[in-house]
Amino acid sequence: MALDSPKELGAIQFGLMDPETYRDMSATKVITADTYDDDGYPIDMGLMDPRLGVIDPGLECRTCGQHSGSCNGHFGHIELAAPVIHVGFTKLIRRLLRATCRECGRLSLTDEEKEEFSEKLERAKELGEDPNDVLKAAIRQARKAGRCPYCIDQSTGEPTKQHDIKHEKPTTYYEVQDVLSGEYSELIASAMQPDPDDEDDPGMAPQELAEKTDIPLDRINQILSGEFRPKADDRKAIERALDIDLTEEDMNKLMPSDIRDWFEDIPDEDIEAIGIDAERSRPEWMILTVLPVPPVTARPSITLDNGQRSEDDLTHKLVDIIRINQRFMENREAGAPQLIIEDLWELLQYHVTTFIDNEISGTPPARHRSGRPLKTLSQRLKGKEGRFRGSLSGKRVNFSARTVISPDPTLSLNEVGVPRRVATEMTQTMNVTERNLDRARRFVSNGPEGHPGANYVKRPDGRRLKVTEKNCEELAEKVEEEWEVNRHLIDGDIVIFNRQPSLHRMSIMAHEVVVMPYKTFRLNTTVCPPYNADFDGDEMNMHALQNEEARAEARVLMRVQEQILSPRFGENIIGAIQDHISGTYLLTHENPQFSETQALDLLRATSVDTLPEPNGETETGDPYWTGRALFSELLPDDLSLEFTSSAGDDVVIEDGQHLEGTIDEDAVGAFGGEIVDTITKVYGETRARIFINEIASLAMRSIMHFGFSLGIDDESIPEEANEMVDEAIENAYEQIQELIETYAAGELESLPGRTVDETLEMKIMQRLGKARDSAGEIAEDHFGDDNPAVIMARSGARGSMLNLTQMAGCVGQQAVRGERINRGYEDRTLSHFRPNDLSAEAHGFVENSYRGGLTPKEFFFHAMGGREGLVDTAVRTSKSGYLQRRLINALSELEAQYDGTVRDTSGTIVQFEFGEDGTSPVKVSSNVENEIDVGSIADRVIDNEFTSEEEKARFLGTQEPPTNLSEYAGPGLNKAGTQEVESDD
Amino acid sequence: MVDVSQHELVPDHTVLDDPEEVEAVLEEYNVNKTNLPKIKRTDPALRETEAETGDVVRIERDSRTADRAVVYRLVVE
Ligand SMILES: [Mg+2]
Ligand SMILES: [Zn+2]
Ligand SMILES: [Zn+2]
Repeated sequence: MALDSPKELGAIQFGLMDPETYRDMSATKVITADTYDDDGYPIDMGLMDPRLGVIDPGLECRTCGQHSGSCNGHFGHIELAAPVIHVGFTKLIRRLLRATCRECGRLSLTDEEKEEFSEKLERAKELGEDPNDVLKAAIRQARKAGRCPYCIDQSTGEPTKQHDIKHEKPTTYYEVQDVLSGEYSELIASAMQPDPDDEDDPGMAPQELAEKTDIPLDRINQILSGEFRPKADDRKAIERALDIDLTEEDMNKLMPSDIRDWFEDIPDEDIEAIGIDAERSRPEWMILTVLPVPPVTARPSITLDNGQRSEDDLTHKLVDIIRINQRFMENREAGAPQLIIEDLWELLQYHVTTFIDNEISGTPPARHRSGRPLKTLSQRLKGKEGRFRGSLSGKRVNFSARTVISPDPTLSLNEVGVPRRVATEMTQTMNVTERNLDRARRFVSNGPEGHPGANYVKRPDGRRLKVTEKNCEELAEKVEEEWEVNRHLIDGDIVIFNRQPSLHRMSIMAHEVVVMPYKTFRLNTTVCPPYNADFDGDEMNMHALQNEEARAEARVLMRVQEQILSPRFGENIIGAIQDHISGTYLLTHENPQFSETQALDLLRATSVDTLPEPNGETETGDPYWTGRALFSELLPDDLSLEFTSSAGDDVVIEDGQHLEGTIDEDAVGAFGGEIVDTITKVYGETRARIFINEIASLAMRSIMHFGFSLGIDDESIPEEANEMVDEAIENAYEQIQELIETYAAGELESLPGRTVDETLEMKIMQRLGKARDSAGEIAEDHFGDDNPAVIMARSGARGSMLNLTQMAGCVGQQAVRGERINRGYEDRTLSHFRPNDLSAEAHGFVENSYRGGLTPKEFFFHAMGGREGLVDTAVRTSKSGYLQRRLINALSELEAQYDGTVRDTSGTIVQFEFGEDGTSPVKVSSNVENEIDVGSIADRVIDNEFTSEEEKARFLGTQEPPTNLSEYAGPGLNKAGTQEVESDD
Repeated sequence: MVDVSQHELVPDHTVLDDPEEVEAVLEEYNVNKTNLPKIKRTDPALRETEAETGDVVRIERDSRTADRAVVYRLVVE
């Protein structure tokens, strides 16, 4: 029976499988546990029966006649000697046992209740709620019933009592019945005795009991002597009279066959009421009587080097099952005692259970001879490396490369430097036509090792030929139209580039290839922020795209320049960083003057090739250009902008001329640099890409012109400054001493809502914080404006004034859990201090600077604070990572529809208008002060579009179009003729 | 008991009693009633209204992005 696999799926139905279906689809019954005979041939009706499919090349499948590779294999089956429970359904089995009658099998719900739950189920489905909740509620309701509403117990004449079901994991079920305790007479007798601790309790005479319970006295006596077991009513009467419990629990084990019989009695309409489709899934099918044997292809044996065969774990498990199955049958036929049969039955259950799932809690896992637990069916599917997450949603792919990354400021931010080794390994398919035939031949003739070469060719008849060093020349001549050539990556190809963790969409962007020597991927430093990459050993992945649609999509939607604006905060995420910012700061802060040579050198890596009018002449009569004038050369000619920079001065740009202020992080930086943001939004991504590339080049040239380095001397302050710092700290110590004395005298007044102790701690912390700040101020006063650390901190390139304070002035208070350091020994932090010393130095105040060096005690406190920071980051990243995974999984199916709504896959509306305003965060202004001037953009676009005022007026509708013209003469119709096709980079 | 619907942070909830109005909303978004977002009949914001299961309520709230946003919800058990 060869099933053609469907190419398109309409729907998937899940249900239980009928044992008859197992038999029908089975290629053979399996009866022997042996696999191969002495000659190495598979044994008939064994686990490797050739009807189950073939794995050895050359052999023919006895079911479908195909050879290994084309035959997918066929299921067989084992007839189980006794039914066993399927572990996957233990919970459902328990629910059904509890909800149905043990006598008649009917659901213990009245018709009205059934109706109600059916309706609820219907409603839950309609509203997209979890039908399981309704199901559980129905089961709970049925369990409450206690007595069957449908049948009468013959022995009592009352509705059948429903016993509680106890489930012992994984696959044992008991019926719990309350029966009369075996010691009932003793229990009654002792309850009738007077209580020795209570003088008022006279006990109870049999006569009295008889009256109280309405039971004849002689019957009471019979009961007391143990000759008569009281019936339920009498028992209850006695229990009430004496306030005792005469019952004990009796557990009656339900064998799988009992359960199967029970489930067979459940009528179809009753299971429909609890959401099971009786047509497809009868509950008794959850008890296995036939076990399907997976095809050989699903459990191939491997031949070891020494010629021995090693079988798959599933095969091992099947061998166990068949062996026990046979022993069971033999013993039963031989009439073995019930105890032995039950033991074997349990063993069979164990093997079938572990065949399905070998990681059941409470069951020892089946092990290999070596002690390794077997990997059975459920283990193949579960978890990260399982079939779903490991083989279906994610798998290893071809046409990908991974290597270390390093920076290359000469590349455009759209580009990526690809090592030659990678470029010659990863290919693009070329469809040979008359127009590229020559090129294709050249690729092939370069062979697989030359670059740009080719690795494979494909003839029109479908044969693939490997290009080798030997055959390349010859093959190149054979290449004709309609062949396919797998050529190497060359400059300008588009590839996808990715750095993990891929936390946002800018973690995967498309780049254009630049083939380069050496072994690392090279990238422009301005794309570090979106990837969150640095060059301390980071590796990245590259994927070569394999069809024209993918390449087009990547180029249009995924190219780095299309990702300059981040959808997270609506501003640019790509821009100048670190040294770029120091560079523009040096260039524009004091507006230095440059000679012609210097000016040309600064602009040499940009597209500016003529200098503007000089800004003036030096004393010697040479023309000079200012830094701001050179910076202005990179700006669009009509850009006008005013904002306040992070250094605090007002930046003024008018008609593309930078007139005032310092260009720093707030102007050109990644994460919302004002100029980059404006250019991207107003002038478009391409202009922004050019600007960022050029600003980076100019900044690098300029920082090299001035020279920029940071050494230990740059953090040193003069001796008198050091003395001032010491004095400031000394002052703080004195005040703290006073505080402590006030506290010790009990005179410290507590702040509202704080204890005195807390108040003292707070005041000390405050005072020490002030001490460090003043140390920082003193240090700051002694640093010149040309200090590189100051430049970096002020411009926002790297570091902060606090870092500088700690290096030069005073490191300050170390904290653990937001408090001064209080842990360690009893009443003190270290053995070097007296107990209960409240002073600053005993609780982690570091008065030295990093440059001056920490004392051993300070060093230790500093390490304590530092460790907390490390632990916090580690915990935070793992927590936030998991949180993000859950968020992404919950939101991944939401989609903005063409009508502007956001809906999930069932069509349920989540937002009536995307973001409530229906706009993309990257298409609108990021803040109120910086609104996008739509009018000026429209004007510029229209000006570019129309060559004559007349056409423009016609388009804008101020002038009626002439009526007697052909339709081909209308405005905008010759667009393609005039529009230039812009090349990438 | 506090009537939360009077609180400034609770947006206006109005039951659409005119079936044609409901029909217009469903038409506009081309959805079934069950594909609207849900609100519980016992929601404190609905206390003062006579919303029944199956009704559609219009909620008009302040929006950070659009000043005013209108959403519709289906009342469920
Ligand atoms: Mg790194
Ligand atoms: Zn076959
Ligand atoms: Zn019954």
